Amino acid sequence: MKQPITFTVNGEVHQLEVETHKTLLDTLREDLCLTGAKEGCDAGDCGVCTIILDGRAVNPCLILAVEARGKEITTIEGLAQGEQLHPLQEAFIQHGAVQCGFCSPGMILTAKALLADNPQPTAQEVKQAMAGNLCRCTGYESIVQAILGAAPQLAGR
Amino acid sequence: MRKLRKFEYAAPRSLAEAVALLREQTGETSLLAGGTDLLVTMKQGKLTPQYVIDIKDIPGLDSLTYDPQGGLRIGPLVTMQQLVTCLSVQQHFPLLSEGALATAVPQIRNRATVAGNLCNASPAADMAPPLIAAGASLKLIGPQGERMVPVEGFFTAPFATVLEEDEILAEIAVPSLPRGSGSCYQWLPKTTVVDETLVGAAVVITLDRDGACQDARIGLGSVAPTPLRARQAEEVLRGHRVVNGTVEEAARVAAGESVPRSRAEYRREMVQVMVEEALRRAVERAQQA
Repeated sequence: MKQPITFTVNGEVHQLEVETHKTLLDTLREDLCLTGAKEGCDAGDCGVCTIILDGRAVNPCLILAVEARGKEITTIEGLAQGEQLHPLQEAFIQHGAVQCGFCSPGMILTAKALLADNPQPTAQEVKQAMAGNLCRCTGYESIVQAILGAAPQLAGR
Repeated sequence: MRKLRKFEYAAPRSLAEAVALLREQTGETSLLAGGTDLLVTMKQGKLTPQYVIDIKDIPGLDSLTYDPQGGLRIGPLVTMQQLVTCLSVQQHFPLLSEGALATAVPQIRNRATVAGNLCNASPAADMAPPLIAAGASLKLIGPQGERMVPVEGFFTAPFATVLEEDEILAEIAVPSLPRGSGSCYQWLPKTTVVDETLVGAAVVITLDRDGACQDARIGLGSVAPTPLRARQAEEVLRGHRVVNGTVEEAARVAAGESVPRSRAEYRREMVQVMVEEALRRAVERAQQA
């Protein structure tokens, strides 16, 4: 069955009609062409689909599009301001925390949600917060360092 | 993972409406809260509901309240993350925060509900042993009205509970722990399957003024078809001074009460280790109280 829904993505309001059995991930990728959120395990284990929903990092592969009505969503596409990268994106580049890049959108958004909640995390707290995001390339150390490196810049904002 | 099959979707505005919908539907119906178990099960093709009833539009169900007399009241939409961050829970029921942290992925904790963890009824459900040890009761609401069920009586078989087809888990009530109590949840994760618990042990121990054990409650997870209460192990502790010998004996007895299906020998050994660790930590906290 189809249902009309309205939600906000990266500050922009969207009104669409969605099939109730369509996931939020598929809706973002296919209907809104926001392909930054990736499909990996499709079961909430790998984190490559991570977005921020009402301030919290979540896996849209396990959320129906209709459940997102009235919500505010941030995807990776919402971070840079034109050519100006977000401090987290800059930090990931500076620390070599992006190799193939497939996990990066999810990693950066989870980190963004973490730092909003906990502006000065310890390395241990970063690792615990990032437990839901897998990476096959970097070995994680550069990612942790990038997040710790970006934290002071975001604390000021 | 395969894509979901079509279903009818409804988002009732009250529990009464939700119960009525459950009653009306003749086809397979599922309740949707956090969705972190339901959607996976649906994608695996193990469940193909014709109706999905989303309870997230019902006001007041995400309430998490504590007072020293009434204890802790956990609404059915309370997430794992709420139990982790709530200061009252950390302070008065640390085993519940620890149980929630056993779901190690923040993205899942932000959506997964405590009630959903119980209703999904995995033998490895992380909220079950802590709630059993804490002596929690569940309020079930159906067309006939309300009934209270102790958590330890809720589970009947792997992924099965006493919930009738037209009943909803409406609240989890956790009585305040008696004076002189300490609690802890210790667990060992599997390294083969993502994030599932291999062995979980939850303890609430109450010490009297002389430091002897006035009461003990031990909940075990993932070592039987359902989460279980280790009553014989509790008996070893009750009425006795808590010394190394009693703790080790209680842990040994708890291991004996376990009936794990797979990796049985290792699991029984780990029950002993987890119960011992949980007991020691709970006693420490009881002494600090």
